[in-house]
Amino acid sequence: MAPYWAGGNLVHFPGKGGGDPEDLADENTILVQRTLRSGQSISYDGNIVIVGDVNPGAEVVASGNVVVMGYLRGVVHAGAGGDENAAVYAYRLQPTQLRIANHITRAPDGEETGSKDPEVARVKDGIVVIEAFQFGPERQR
Amino acid sequence: MGEVIVVTSGKGGVGKTTTTANLGAGLASLNNRVCLIDADIGLRNLDVVMGLENRIVYDLVDVTSGNCPYKKALIKDKRFENLYLLPAAQTKDKTAVNPDQMRVLCDEMRDEYDYIIVDCPAGIEQGFRNAIAGANQAIVVTTPEVSAVRDADRIIGLLEKEDLREPKLIINRMRYHMVKHGDMMSIDDIIEILAVDLLGVVPEDELVVISTNRGEMVVINNNSKSGQAYRNIVRRIKGENVPMMDLEDSGFMKKLRRMIGLK
Repeated sequence: MAPYWAGGNLVHFPGKGGGDPEDLADENTILVQRTLRSGQSISYDGNIVIVGDVNPGAEVVASGNVVVMGYLRGVVHAGAGGDENAAVYAYRLQPTQLRIANHITRAPDGEETGSKDPEVARVKDGIVVIEAFQFGPERQR
Repeated sequence: MGEVIVVTSGKGGVGKTTTTANLGAGLASLNNRVCLIDADIGLRNLDVVMGLENRIVYDLVDVTSGNCPYKKALIKDKRFENLYLLPAAQTKDKTAVNPDQMRVLCDEMRDEYDYIIVDCPAGIEQGFRNAIAGANQAIVVTTPEVSAVRDADRIIGLLEKEDLREPKLIINRMRYHMVKHGDMMSIDDIIEILAVDLLGVVPEDELVVISTNRGEMVVINNNSKSGQAYRNIVRRIKGENVPMMDLEDSGFMKKLRRMIGLK
């Protein structure tokens, strides 16, 4: 029998909020409980949650969303299958390069960005925007 | 037809990557079309040293495995119009590329660039064989330390075996005051052992560390000794006859001694 996560269907998180929890039950998510170091990479057909840091030179690729409970300093690609609704959440969002679906972005040269707060990156009106993370699911969209 | 020059050393940490970046920038500043190839797959650094890490989308392995044409993987430098970088892959290892693929790639690129400089990984295994495969010239970097010179000697032997005859030598991180006190090998000591042509000597310089950490190249710093050394090496690569710099005694002490009439 195939493992329970091998469904491979694209997910559309975050949802509209509310709704039937059953609708969300088939979303694939993996939990990674370690720091990703340079040269290490994770790719997954679904969401990725990392409890740890993503160091420069490491790579996270997900068809769904990426959540990093730590410093995100490497390369991250959410919605790798083309899902523009995918988002990247990080406790500290300082990626070398950030990709969502077919958008590629990086921090401007010579600018020390580095918010001291959790942030979220997502595509809005065709461009990737980074915003402070607002707690509570209703305010996310 | 462009030159393909491999920068190698055997030993790690002697300054291959720094040398590659500076020679590339130096050659580009003299209006040559230059492409740097980082052959250190799995431990890439050249992109970081040049401050281009955040621009990488495709890499050397994508190119050699046919995922994308090499032009799509090239990253244009921030400062020089005609300087390009082909970055290494970080999540793969040396076995992801083979010497034949490198040979094909270098031959393809030679029509487009005046100089292609390949940054070789440390060691003598497949990474080294990949890096030298497409090259028609070699620069060996060493530091004035017994272990580095020993490894350089081994590398020169291996290069000769691969028909890269007459490699040129760069001695990096020379500390003249130590040589003076007999605490460090001198240029002559090193040349005596290695018996190859000396392309240049780069003095130990804190500015190299500072600029490297900032993703800049010291060769464009007109006020640094090491930058001057790299500029001279670039001119020698271009075939000019540039005399070796006098680095014996420089800066403040020299001025002071002159002032009080000791010299």
